[in-house]
Amino acid sequence: MSVVLHTNKLSKAFFGVPAVQDVSISVEAGQILGLVGQNGAGKSTLMNLIGGVVHADSGTMSLHGQPYQPRNPADAFRAGIAFIHQELNLFTNLSIAENIFIESFPTQRRGPFRLIDRSAVHQRTEALLAQVGLALPPNLTIDRISPGERQLVEIAKALHIDASLFILDEPTTSLTNRETERLFALMKQLQAQGKALIYISHILNDVLALADSIAVMRDGQLITQEPVQNFDVGRMISLMVGRSIDHLYPERTSQPSSEILLDVQGVTADGIVKDIALRVHQGEIVGLFGLMGSGRTELARILFGVDGFESGQVILDKRRFTVSVPRESIRSGVAFVTENRREEGLLMDISIHENVALVALPQFCHTPLQIVDQDAAYSSVRQTLNALQLKSGDIRKQPVRSLSGGNQQKVVIAKWLLSKPKLFIMDEPTRGIDVEAKFEIYTIMDQLAGSGSGILFISSELEELMGMCDRIVVMSRGEIVGEFARQAFDAKAILHAAFREGEALT
Amino acid sequence: MKTRPLQSLLRRLLISEYFVLYLTIVMFTGAALIFPQVGLSNTLGLPFNISNQFLNMWPLLAVAVGQTFVLIVGGIDLSQGSIMAITSVVGAMVMSSALDPAMFDRSPFWGTLMRPEGGVLSGSPLAAPVGVLLMLALGIGIGFFNGFVITRFRIAPFMATLVSMIFFSALALWITQSRNIPSLPEDFIRLGTGDIVSVYLGEKTESTIPRREIFSAIAYPTVIAFALAIFGSFLLNRTALGRHMFAIGTNRRSAHISGVPTNRVIILVYMFSGFCAAVSAILYSARLGIGQPSLGNNLLLDIVGAVVIGGTSLFGGKGSIKGTVFGVAFFVLLLNVLNAARLSPFIIDAVKGGIILLAALLDVTRTRLVGQEGQL
Amino acid sequence: MKSSRVLQKTWNVLLNHSTLVLFVVVFIIFGLSSPRFFTLENITNFVKQAAFTGIIAVGMTFVLLTAGIDLSVGSNMYLSSVISGLLMRSIGLDVLPALLVALVVGTLFGAVNAFSVVYLRITPFMATLATLVIGRGIGTALTESRQIDLPERMATFGQAHLLGIPMPIIAFLIVVSTAYFVLTRLPIGRQIYAVGNDRDAAEKAGINSKRVIFSVYLISGFCAALAGFILASQVIRVDRSFAEGREFDAIAAAVLGGVSLFGGVGNVIGALVGAVLIQMVQTGLQFNQVNLYLQPMVRALIILMTVFFDSLREAQAEKLRRRFIRPLDGDKTEVHKAPVVPSQANT
Repeated sequence: MSVVLHTNKLSKAFFGVPAVQDVSISVEAGQILGLVGQNGAGKSTLMNLIGGVVHADSGTMSLHGQPYQPRNPADAFRAGIAFIHQELNLFTNLSIAENIFIESFPTQRRGPFRLIDRSAVHQRTEALLAQVGLALPPNLTIDRISPGERQLVEIAKALHIDASLFILDEPTTSLTNRETERLFALMKQLQAQGKALIYISHILNDVLALADSIAVMRDGQLITQEPVQNFDVGRMISLMVGRSIDHLYPERTSQPSSEILLDVQGVTADGIVKDIALRVHQGEIVGLFGLMGSGRTELARILFGVDGFESGQVILDKRRFTVSVPRESIRSGVAFVTENRREEGLLMDISIHENVALVALPQFCHTPLQIVDQDAAYSSVRQTLNALQLKSGDIRKQPVRSLSGGNQQKVVIAKWLLSKPKLFIMDEPTRGIDVEAKFEIYTIMDQLAGSGSGILFISSELEELMGMCDRIVVMSRGEIVGEFARQAFDAKAILHAAFREGEALT
Repeated sequence: MKTRPLQSLLRRLLISEYFVLYLTIVMFTGAALIFPQVGLSNTLGLPFNISNQFLNMWPLLAVAVGQTFVLIVGGIDLSQGSIMAITSVVGAMVMSSALDPAMFDRSPFWGTLMRPEGGVLSGSPLAAPVGVLLMLALGIGIGFFNGFVITRFRIAPFMATLVSMIFFSALALWITQSRNIPSLPEDFIRLGTGDIVSVYLGEKTESTIPRREIFSAIAYPTVIAFALAIFGSFLLNRTALGRHMFAIGTNRRSAHISGVPTNRVIILVYMFSGFCAAVSAILYSARLGIGQPSLGNNLLLDIVGAVVIGGTSLFGGKGSIKGTVFGVAFFVLLLNVLNAARLSPFIIDAVKGGIILLAALLDVTRTRLVGQEGQL
Repeated sequence: MKSSRVLQKTWNVLLNHSTLVLFVVVFIIFGLSSPRFFTLENITNFVKQAAFTGIIAVGMTFVLLTAGIDLSVGSNMYLSSVISGLLMRSIGLDVLPALLVALVVGTLFGAVNAFSVVYLRITPFMATLATLVIGRGIGTALTESRQIDLPERMATFGQAHLLGIPMPIIAFLIVVSTAYFVLTRLPIGRQIYAVGNDRDAAEKAGINSKRVIFSVYLISGFCAALAGFILASQVIRVDRSFAEGREFDAIAAAVLGGVSLFGGVGNVIGALVGAVLIQMVQTGLQFNQVNLYLQPMVRALIILMTVFFDSLREAQAEKLRRRFIRPLDGDKTEVHKAPVVPSQANT
């Protein structure tokens, strides 16, 4: 087997802090290299070095035995490296076909102007879409298609450049199971064609199933690269963490009470959710499971008053609750940990203190001019952050952006805790954060439930719902299609419920 | 390695919020040495000269405080100049005590609100206070309109305030038929020039040294502009409104979900901006003694320039009133220096543009340096 | 039921073409109030007057598509006309070489903007606001703030016709169709849309976004100089307030035509309609002898109305985007009722 890419002692530091240190890995043709590590372990930086997004401080790379030194993403692209980033990089205002060919439109041979050869673009896009299993017209604009479909378009885009090395950074986070399977089949197919692939994922079972060899990173360093046979999930985790972890989930310490906290009755928003009936009791963690596009996030947004609904009612703590704007919901004792921290959860460039104090600000203001009692605010914030064991510098100076994903999520939770809510709506609270931080978040959730709060826990990872919830409610295409008590948890049955409609229709 | 301390000093200097102040002092001393007419000898001798240096600063500071607020929430207010024009004109129209028919008989309000014997409040002792209140109310009202259009119809601030800018400056010209409105009451004019000390200690004629020349550094405009700046700084740093403004400017969606009443805050901010423009119009009109429909024309660059020099970001979420005070001081002194150098007004314009460009460049560099600090 | 759906549909169609609807309505109103308004001569006249606004609006469209803004076009028109005008007067430069000079000056002006935005990384708003002041300052310094009267041959050029079509309209049409062609059929055109949509993503996709952004300011500078020259050939003099504030007309025309200030949305045909609409309103008001002072106010209201419709349209689109439960093909039945899996809640 020939080595496609080899890195030799690559190092990269950001402002003196090493992100990648002396990392040497190699990928062979026809092989899938699984790359795992906690957040901040340096996986993304390493891939960005290979993809030409950032430049190495020291060390070398070789591609097909030739020295390789990309100055920018375009260089990497031309060298035959296809990079599928974790966040989508599509232009929502352009068509699928234009997105695929944006950098290298086929142009007409004749004529003085090198016009875009539209029919060639169209035909080649159709072929690529067929390859990734998308039945969409090439001239459809991206803003009309779902996140999962967009991810597949990204992959089609990578296919067209006929790359010899594919880098896939967490490509399955927005895919449905069906789409994930399709993607894995495609990866196998590429592998059979002799391509090299680097696959980064937090879902360790997927990595085990797919990869030929696995590289583990921790604190910017490569811990080991070995054939897949040498690994099981437990070993991967202990290598990633640096010690062995016995439990993925904390023991639940409390029982839900029979007091109804939230009672959703027949809530309908046209074209979004239909006839939703849902209850959350005090001290209960209710899981809300569904595939991408099932309406789970949309339901959460409606319950919090971000979006409106047409009919039905919501009763919170025995009082009819007119859901109108987030401000009102907060006053009524609801908290909402949104699925995307960056866009809706945090003020990235502002200090940790300001972020945490924001929601509960009215508590610290008394005079008519709404003067903030800064000392009271600071001590409350400090207290809450201590309780959550947030590690940081001066919370009044350090911007949230500089924290790791897990710590950012703690800041989000802290700001809601300060407003002392009765009901927590948590949408994907553990997305993209590492194993240790996940465990901490779960522990906080258990404590919240123990103190009598109700939690509506939305996730696309069934495993964590089964680990933490008292009850799981399943949504599909805007409706609730199943409900399971803890003793009746069964992954197969829950997935079956979530997929029911998809199966019926294809 | 030897250059390290120097580099870090330079870097610290660039990041410092007092950078513009240092720059102002350096420029002023430098200029004083080169052009004696603005120079230290005169200035030290007579406080009057210092106050002269700052004469143009106060109205600009007033209006810049409002623009700082708007920029912090991630908006922009192009209409401030027009608000100044229309408030100046309307205030003067009400307060004026004599209007020449030959000049104003084509105005739409001739014969009703404007008569040969002046405006509605002509000669009344209440003319000045009511006129001032009316001007402030009008400024706040236009600000409300801007904020309402921006939040309710979700129109980009640039477009919404562009509409106000075109509309109200045309309205001011229409009402006055492009003419200045004269004959404003003494009480009003004193707001632009009167010095507080002589107001409290009696007329200056009793003294052998003209008190006015000594103490005019704390004249009405100074006090009013500083009061406004201190009030703005207080709102920004001490109140929930200020916290909310920074939150909105950093990430409006995030702020909304965190319970910030985004629309209400944005409307308030534009109202405050209109209020500040009205205050500025009062100071200018009082100093000039007329209501001027062309007031605030081409002032946009000075306002936004001074605010950005002071470190407020055009992208929202960053800025301070202290910075704006320094920015305005720098800008005004710079213009004085250029004037003292007897450059043609057109070259001064060009230089002004160059300075703005440099200030923006400084902002970019500074943001990058601060970003690096944040990473550490 | 059915009629309300038809009504809804009609409303949507009207909303989606609000500028065109506004265009037709305004046209008819002016036509009814003054019969002479409908004459070919008059129509030709206001299209001719719209030409220079339209040309800068096309340049502005390129810049707006990348989420930038060019406030300096008015100054650019002035400075390039001043320089070419001075050369015509002093060394008797002919019209076409003078045009060439103006275009070079304008493009260089654009290059200064481009350099500030791309390499110095200054916000387009600040960069072009600064060059606005600088440009006019240099222009007035060069002329010592005096008016330049252009030679007779410039007037001849301004009055020229080709196949019975006035020169400004021909120039306008050439600019619009070239721009349309570039934006829709050339790779760089699509890349402009891509950069405006998401610059980071564009970089990662291997697009040289610096080159793309640089080129839009050059294009805007070129268009400004061309428009300035055409305007100069119409009024045959360049004074201190020449083309002052025209940048706002250009922005308004582009936005009227559906170009977004946030980048990535819009096209030059819209800018064309927007420019003609603005000029038509102006001409119409003159025709009806509306007070000169009121005309800018009416213009402001027209802009307000269009951005208002634009926001309605956006709200509608937003609502549709949120409806994610898409009807599946061939699936005529409503969403299935009742869960198959038994409910096992613990209450």
